[in-house]
Order: sequence, then C-alpha cells, then structure tokens
Amino acid sequence: MALYLLLFQGYPLVQELYLSFTSTALLTPDQHVFVGLQNYIDLVTQEDFRQVLLITAIYTVVCVVAAIALGLGAALLLDAPFRGRGLARALVTIPWAAPPVAVALIFVWIYNGQYGIFNHLLGALGGSARLESWLDSPALALPAVLLTTIWQIFPFAAVVILAALQGVSSELREAAVIDGAHRLSVFRAVVWPSIQPSVALLALFLSIWSLRRFDLIWLMTQGGPIGSTNTLVIELYRRAFVYRDLGQGAAVGMVGLSIALLITVVYFRHMQRAGHGKTVARRAPGERQR
Amino acid sequence: MSWQHALRMMLVLALLGVAAFPLYWMLVTSLTASPNLFAARPQLLPDWSQWPVYGHAFSATAVAVWLRNSAIVAFGTAALSIALALFPAYVLSRYRSRALAILGVALFVTQMLPEAMLVVPLYAIFGQLGLLDSLTGLILANTAFTVPVITLILKGAVDGVPIDIEEAAGIDGCSRLGLVLTVVLPLVAPTLAAAAVIAFFHGWNEYVFAQTLISDQGLQTASVGLAGFVGELSTPVHTVMSVGLMYTLPAVIFYLFVQRYVVSGMTAGSVKG
Repeated sequence: MALYLLLFQGYPLVQELYLSFTSTALLTPDQHVFVGLQNYIDLVTQEDFRQVLLITAIYTVVCVVAAIALGLGAALLLDAPFRGRGLARALVTIPWAAPPVAVALIFVWIYNGQYGIFNHLLGALGGSARLESWLDSPALALPAVLLTTIWQIFPFAAVVILAALQGVSSELREAAVIDGAHRLSVFRAVVWPSIQPSVALLALFLSIWSLRRFDLIWLMTQGGPIGSTNTLVIELYRRAFVYRDLGQGAAVGMVGLSIALLITVVYFRHMQRAGHGKTVARRAPGERQR
Repeated sequence: MSWQHALRMMLVLALLGVAAFPLYWMLVTSLTASPNLFAARPQLLPDWSQWPVYGHAFSATAVAVWLRNSAIVAFGTAALSIALALFPAYVLSRYRSRALAILGVALFVTQMLPEAMLVVPLYAIFGQLGLLDSLTGLILANTAFTVPVITLILKGAVDGVPIDIEEAAGIDGCSRLGLVLTVVLPLVAPTLAAAAVIAFFHGWNEYVFAQTLISDQGLQTASVGLAGFVGELSTPVHTVMSVGLMYTLPAVIFYLFVQRYVVSGMTAGSVKG
C-alpha cells in the first residue's frame, strides 16, 4: 500500500512541488524553464490572489462553523428518544449521500433567477417579488454556493456529534439534572466537555475538506461571477487548465496545501495544550494503544 | 403530549424537510410538463402523468452507459480499497516504528491534497502506463484517495479488538496471516462493510478524475455525463432532472439501508472522519 500511495499520491505531489518552481505550459510540459520562486512572488504581489485567499477563508470558516452549529442542533434534536427516531436519523443524512454533481445541478435550477423555487420561496416569505439570478450576482453567488455546501455537509457533522453524544455519561447527566441544573448548564458542564474533542476533530476534517472542495463550486459558478466564488482550488484549476499555466497552478496548490498543514498543526497543538493528549495519541500513527 | 415534545417534533420535521427538499424538487422538476417549468408559479407537486419522461431520458441520453460505468468504478474502488487497506491497517494498529509513524502522517496528509492538484501529474503517469481512457485507471486513481481514509478507519476497528484474543489463537498455532483473516477479520466485519460503502460512494460520486482522465464518450461516468448538462440549453430541464435522479436515487436509497452500519462502523474506531 505504501508503494501504491507513493506512486499515486507521493510522486504526483513531488512533481507538483517541482512544477511550482517552473514555468510550464499545459500543452508543452516538456519544455519548461526553472524559475525558482517567481511563481510564488507573482502570487504574493497580485491583488487578485489576495481576494482568492479572502474568499477561501470566508468559504472555509463559514462552512465549518455553520456545519457544526447545524450539525450540533440536529444531533441534539435526534438524540432524545421519540417515535420514528431511527428513520429520522437515516433521512437526515440524505444530503451527504447525494452525489455533488447532482446537487450542483439541482441547486443551479433552484437558484435560477426566473424559474427557480428559491426566489419564489423568498417571495412567499415576504421578500421582494423578483430577485436576480443568485449565481449570476457577484454579491449573492458566494452565499448561494455556501448554502449549498453547508446543506451537503451538515449531516456529516450531525452524525459525528450524535455518535459523540452516545459517549456522554448518562449518569453524570442525570445527576446534574437531579441537582437541579438547568438544561443549558447541563450542556455546558457535562455534555460539551465530553464531545469537545470530537467536535474539534470534526472541525479539522471539515476545514480540510472545505479547502479542497472543487466539484460543487466549479459546476455552480466556475469561480465567478467576477471571481466572487474563486477559492484556492478553483484558482488552481483555472490557472492550470483554463490559462494552461501549470507552474502557476502548482504554486497555488502548494499555498493551499501549506494552509491545510498549518491548520492541522494548530489543531494538534491545541489538543495537546487542552489536555486531550489521549485523543491526540489515538490519532497519532504508530502509537500502540488499546 | 407536552408542548416541548410537539416543538421537538416540529423541528425534526423541518430538519427532514430541509434535508430532503432538493431531491424532492428534482423529482417535481422531472415530472413537470415543459410549459409549466417556465410558468409564473412553480408547480409544487409531481405530475405523475409525466412519468414517460424517464423512459424518454433513458433512450435520448447515454444514461444507461454512464450508470454502468459509474457502477464499475464504484465497485472496483470499494474492492481495491479494502484489499489494499486491510493489512496496513492491522500493522498500523499492532506495531510501532518510526517508518510506521511516517506512514501514518503521510496517510493524514493525503486528506489535504485536492484532486485538482494531483490530476496533472497523474495524467502524465497514466499516459506513460497506458491507463488513460480506462475504467481501471479511474479505479486506481480513486483508490489512491480512499485507501488512506479506509486504512485509518480500519486501524481504529483493529484497535478495538483485544489483543488477548489474538494471543489465545496464536498459542493454538495460528499463523499471523491466518490470525488476521480468521480472528481479526470477522470481528471488524461491520467496520469493513462501512469502509467498503464509503469507498463505493467515493467512486460513484467522483468527478474531477473522471472528467480529466477519461475522454472516450463510451467510458464516461454518470457524474461527468450529468455535469455536461450544466449550463447547456439544448437538453430539456425535465430530462436532465430525471437523469439526475436516476443517478442520485440508487445511491441515496442504498445509503439509507446501510446508513446505520456505516455510522456505527465509522464511530467504532477512533477515526471519526
């Protein structure tokens, strides 16, 4: 397996790193010139690229925060016993099981300016009768794409948090209730501390996945209009395949990878400092534990 | 029934409505007569008299071929992922060494690599290996992305198997390989099934590799075929939506059946991602 990964992940990664130091055109990859840090210098000095970083940051943070908030709400809702709970738990995961390409397709239609149900719903809720096409508007495209992404990923957060909730000691919970603790304080004192490590790990995964999410955004907006939904991965794809500049594309990819690594390091630091050493150890590879 | 319970049930219903609405809307759109698609007020219920659109979409588009290709890729990815991940997962769980630590970190790092980034070098490698325009190639590429996750999930499951069980079997004269296959494998079977399902979905849903590594129309997967409809005006909307549903529904229904398994399998281990 190690060999397999080396061939299909390791080698391409090294190749990308090398490409990022060269000037290489998509159609003539053999005729490249080594340009050192030039691609990176270009990125740093471009204002467009700062916008890409900003949009990526907004996209990632909003996705993670909203997915966790919604997921937590859904998990708490589905944690209590009621009739049909099993079915409800299954149904809530529908978005997660739906293929992203199909999701993009239906949401493009939902957001359609003239015939889309979204504007009709807003109209019914008392919004202005005719809003513009969401995905064609530089101001509304990012919220529209975000809404779609959050819809697709929040069930995953719900499932993970629901599983973590099963691990919360019910005795402690009941004891707290008997002691007359308020619902909210039970949550803060008993529930949250015990699910917090799971939520932190969830946040790590959701951040990494949001940073590399491509299909939904590309199919809905291709990064437009006017770059308003242009995240790092979209920018990487545009530079490499639309402008046919592999070197620049690779450099963008390396920036994205560095950010993902940075987030991961921050996560592990945080977990260690928070005294969740055990959780870290459980994740830490090669660590033999029972 | 207390008002708290009633409120809870309303919230649950609202939640399920949000979760299911886009798929429902796909169904409604596919079963809306063309003139009504562009009416001032959208039709909110499916018009079942329109169901022949499904037969029509089946013959007017290549959806049958797309679905077959997607199924091959999905099954292939699931099988290969499990075959490649099982033993490394066992080793990662039971042994420790510097090399294994590095491998573990490497597995984690693969989560951070966007497909769009690796597709250029992969394209070059596949060109040399003659794997372009082949479903086998696509399976190999997809598996590279599923194997790390699956390995970590399976490692978590193996962690949960008490080592005493293995030691007891070892005394009875069982070989290490036999141990994994006869003792550990049955115990981690639920997680194994969950992992296979996760890999299956990855193969079924994958878009970037299928788009770039395959140019032969006859080998297109459903995700690529469907993506071709985005922004294209010549295919009627209700046809597109019916194809979209033919692609989505099998996956969602299958998932609803195995959902409990996947969730418990995933959370059995230490990896919750």
